Amino acid sequence: MSRIAIEGIAKSFGRHRVLDGVTLDIPSGSLTVLCGPPQAGKSVLLRLLVGLETLDAGRITIDGQDLAALTPAQRSIGYVPQSFALLPQMSVFDNIAYPLRMQKSPNDEIRRRVGEAAAVLRIGGLLEKRPDQLSGGEKQRVAIARGMLKQATVFVLDDPLVGLDFKLREALMDDLKDMRVALGATFVYATSDSLEALAMADRLAVLDAGRLIADDGPDQVYHAPPHLRAAELIGFPRCNLVAGRAGGGRCATALGMVRLEGEGEVVLAIRPEQIRFTDVQSGGLHGVGHVALIENLGADSVVHLDVHEIRLVAIPTTESVAGLDVGDEVAFAIDPASLSVFGAASGVRLMQGASS
Amino acid sequence: MRALRTHLYHALLWAVALLFFAPVAWIVLSSFKTADQILAVPPTLFFRPTLANYVRVLSNPNIVSGFGNSLILSCSSVLIAVAVSFLAAFSFSRFKPRGTAFLMFLLLSIRMLPGSAAILPVYLMYVGLGWKDTYFGVILFYAMFSVPFSVWILKGFIDGVSPRFDETGLVNGAGWFRIMTRLIFPQVMPGVIAALIFNFIFVWNEFLFNYIIGGPRTANIPTALATGLYSGGGVDWTFVSVTTTLYIVPPILVVFLFQRYLLVGMTFGTVRGEV
Repeated sequence: MSRIAIEGIAKSFGRHRVLDGVTLDIPSGSLTVLCGPPQAGKSVLLRLLVGLETLDAGRITIDGQDLAALTPAQRSIGYVPQSFALLPQMSVFDNIAYPLRMQKSPNDEIRRRVGEAAAVLRIGGLLEKRPDQLSGGEKQRVAIARGMLKQATVFVLDDPLVGLDFKLREALMDDLKDMRVALGATFVYATSDSLEALAMADRLAVLDAGRLIADDGPDQVYHAPPHLRAAELIGFPRCNLVAGRAGGGRCATALGMVRLEGEGEVVLAIRPEQIRFTDVQSGGLHGVGHVALIENLGADSVVHLDVHEIRLVAIPTTESVAGLDVGDEVAFAIDPASLSVFGAASGVRLMQGASS
Repeated sequence: MRALRTHLYHALLWAVALLFFAPVAWIVLSSFKTADQILAVPPTLFFRPTLANYVRVLSNPNIVSGFGNSLILSCSSVLIAVAVSFLAAFSFSRFKPRGTAFLMFLLLSIRMLPGSAAILPVYLMYVGLGWKDTYFGVILFYAMFSVPFSVWILKGFIDGVSPRFDETGLVNGAGWFRIMTRLIFPQVMPGVIAALIFNFIFVWNEFLFNYIIGGPRTANIPTALATGLYSGGGVDWTFVSVTTTLYIVPPILVVFLFQRYLLVGMTFGTVRGEV
C-alpha cells in the first residue's frame, strides 16, 4: 500500500523558515487533511512530497522507500496544484488526458478514463472547449480530473476547492471522497478552511507557522485540541478563549472558578456549543450575559454574548434561542468537563476537562 | 464644434503621414518612369507608366542574386537566432543561473556600440578564419547579432508563463526539453513571432557588415544597390527606384501581416493583452 512517513522535515526560502521539523505519519488509504492558515507551510509540504521542492533536512518515505532519489514523475503521486495551470494550447480533453498520454496509454483507454473522470466531475460537456472558455469552477474541476488520472497510489490535492461557490464545494467534497474509495488511494489534502477540513478528514493535521501542532482524528482535534492554536484554528464559529490564573489547585477566571492543578497564566478553550443557556448553576463556570448579536445559520443560531468585557460566542439549543433578542439578559453555564486548558505562554495543553 | 476639431486632427494626421510617405511614393512612381521623367522639373505627376525599368533591372544577374542572398541571409540567420535565443531565454527564465541580470545586460551591450566600432575586429577575424564572403560566416554573424534582442523579448514572454505549467510536465514525466517545446513554446508564440519580425527587418536592411565581411557571392540588396548606384557618369535613378520598390515589398508585407506583434516586441513582452 502506501504509508507516508514524514520525518523531521525542514525547508527554508532564504531566511524564511517555512517548515520547521515536521514529523507526520500518513496512514495508507487515509484521507489526511493538512489544515492551517495561509503561509503555514501547507503548500510547501505538499510540494516537497510531490518532489517540486527539495528538503533542507529530514526525509520522506512511502512504504519505507526514501523519496529523495526519485523525480516527481517516478513518485507514485498524483498532484492537483493550487493554481489550475491548464495548458491554453490544448482542449479540455487533452489537458485531462495529459498524464495518460505521457505514460503512453492506448487511445481507447484514454478516451474511456477521461470520460469517466469528466462524468464524475460533471464536465463531460466541456471536453471540446479550450481552457480560456471555462469559468473558474470549471477550470478547477478540469485540474482535479487531470491530477487524478496519473497512475498513482497517493494523490496530493492543494486546496482544490478554494474560491468555489458553496454548493459546488459541497458536491465536490462528496465526489472527492467517492473518488478516493474508488481508487483505494491515500489522499493528502490541504485547505485553510477548517470546516472543509473537518468534513473531509479522517486524519487531521494542523500546521501553524511551519510547525505541526495537531495530528489526530478530526473529532479528537476538535474536541480535545492538543495546542491552543489548534483550538483557535479549527472550528467555526471560533472557539472562545478565556484567560485564567491557576494556583492552589484552582483557577480563577472572569466566569468563575474551576479545579485545576498547576500554577500561572492559562487559557481556557470553550467551544460555542458547550455554552448552555440555563439558570441552573451547578458550580464551575457560569454567568449572565447581554446578547450583542444573533446570527442565523439556518439550523442553528450563533449568539454573541457580552459578559464582563468578554465576548462569548455560543450556539445554544434552538429552544433556548427562541424569542431571544439583542440586549436581552441570558444566564448560561459551561460544563467544565468539556474544557481544554492551555498554558498561556506555551500554548501547550495542560488539561483536557476540568471539574468544578 | 467637437466634430470639427476631430476632423482637423485627422486632416493634420493625414498631412503628416503623406509628408513622410512622399519619398516612398516618389521612389515607387519613379520606378515606372523613364530616366528623363524622373529628373524633370517640375516633376511629372501624370505619365505613361513603363515596365522597361523592371525588365532591365531584373535581367541584371547581380540584382537577382542580391534578392536571393537577402532572403537566404535574413531567413536563415533569424531562424537560427530565435532558436538559440529561445533556449537561452528559457534557461535564464527557469534556472536563473548566478548572474542572470548581468549576463542579460552583457548580451544587450553588443547592440549598444555602433557597428563601425565592431567592424574592424570582425573583419580581421573573418579574414583570418577564411569566412569572408561565405554564407556560413555571414549567416553566423547575423545570427549572433540577432540573439541579444531575441533573448530579451523571449525571456519577457517566458517569465510571463507560470512555472506551474512546468510542474504539470515534471509530475507527469516530461523532461525539460519536452516541457520547453510542448508546454511553454506554444504559449509564447507571439513573442517568437515578434522576435522573428524584428530581426528579419534588421538583417534585411543591414548594409555595413554585408559590405565588409560579405563579398560578390553573398552581397545582399543594400550592398548591390550601393555598388550599382553609379553608372554612366551619374546616379542611375531608374535602377535605384526599381530595386528599392521591389526591396521594400517583403518588409511591408511582413509588417502589415504581423503588425500586432510589433508592439509586443517593442515592449519586451510586457504588453501582451492584445495579442
